[in-house]
Amino acid sequence: MNENRRQILEMLAAGKITADEAEQLLAALEPGASATAGTFTGKIPVSDPSAESTVKTRAKYLRVLVEANEKGEPTTVNVRVPMQLLRAGVRLASLIPMQAHDELDKTLSRHGIPLTVSQIKPENLEEFIDHLEDLVVDVDSKDEKAKVRVFCE
Amino acid sequence: MIPSLAVLQVDAPHFHMPRIWLPLFLLWIPVLLVSPLILIVIFGVSMAGRISPWRAIAVFWSILCGLSGTHIQVSTHDSKVLVRII
Repeated sequence: MNENRRQILEMLAAGKITADEAEQLLAALEPGASATAGTFTGKIPVSDPSAESTVKTRAKYLRVLVEANEKGEPTTVNVRVPMQLLRAGVRLASLIPMQAHDELDKTLSRHGIPLTVSQIKPENLEEFIDHLEDLVVDVDSKDEKAKVRVFCE
Repeated sequence: MIPSLAVLQVDAPHFHMPRIWLPLFLLWIPVLLVSPLILIVIFGVSMAGRISPWRAIAVFWSILCGLSGTHIQVSTHDSKVLVRII
């Protein structure tokens, strides 16, 4: 048995981590897990108690949760978008024909968005999506009684 | 993995659709049969747009594969819409 796998199972047996955390850690050990596993940001106790390491795998979904009260009636929105779909979506931008870039840039700048589409490279988009994983937006409005949460999991 | 099931539910005051499970995996069989035709169309459109047809196929394939796991649920006091792709 793999040493890491054994260590995770021992931590589970010792009650240092929950079954869910163990599952996420085991998934992170799988080959290619970086593209598919969920996020685990818990502390992993190691043999030396003074040295704890933190394992963080890539998020799988972008979640948008909205709870609002419209005219005294509750309204909820629960959206879960796979990160893979976001990645595919940004790759779709690479299909924009070169001749359309100038027109697109002009239109965007006319609307106050100084963006040069031709300068957006696939690697930049990948980086952008990767940084989304650290995104957490919490909006609480006491007057409107609305709560919005945007995060990755 | 390409989506194999979709769940749809619409519940509104004047329209009620019970939760429907759509077996998308059955859809892939006819799609596979007409795939040569689809490929020709994709190649034609890509050539017209001066983009690489292979890149177009790769992007659309990744969008298709990325769809599984999508969950959209909107609920109000008298309406509910649910879309899940599994």
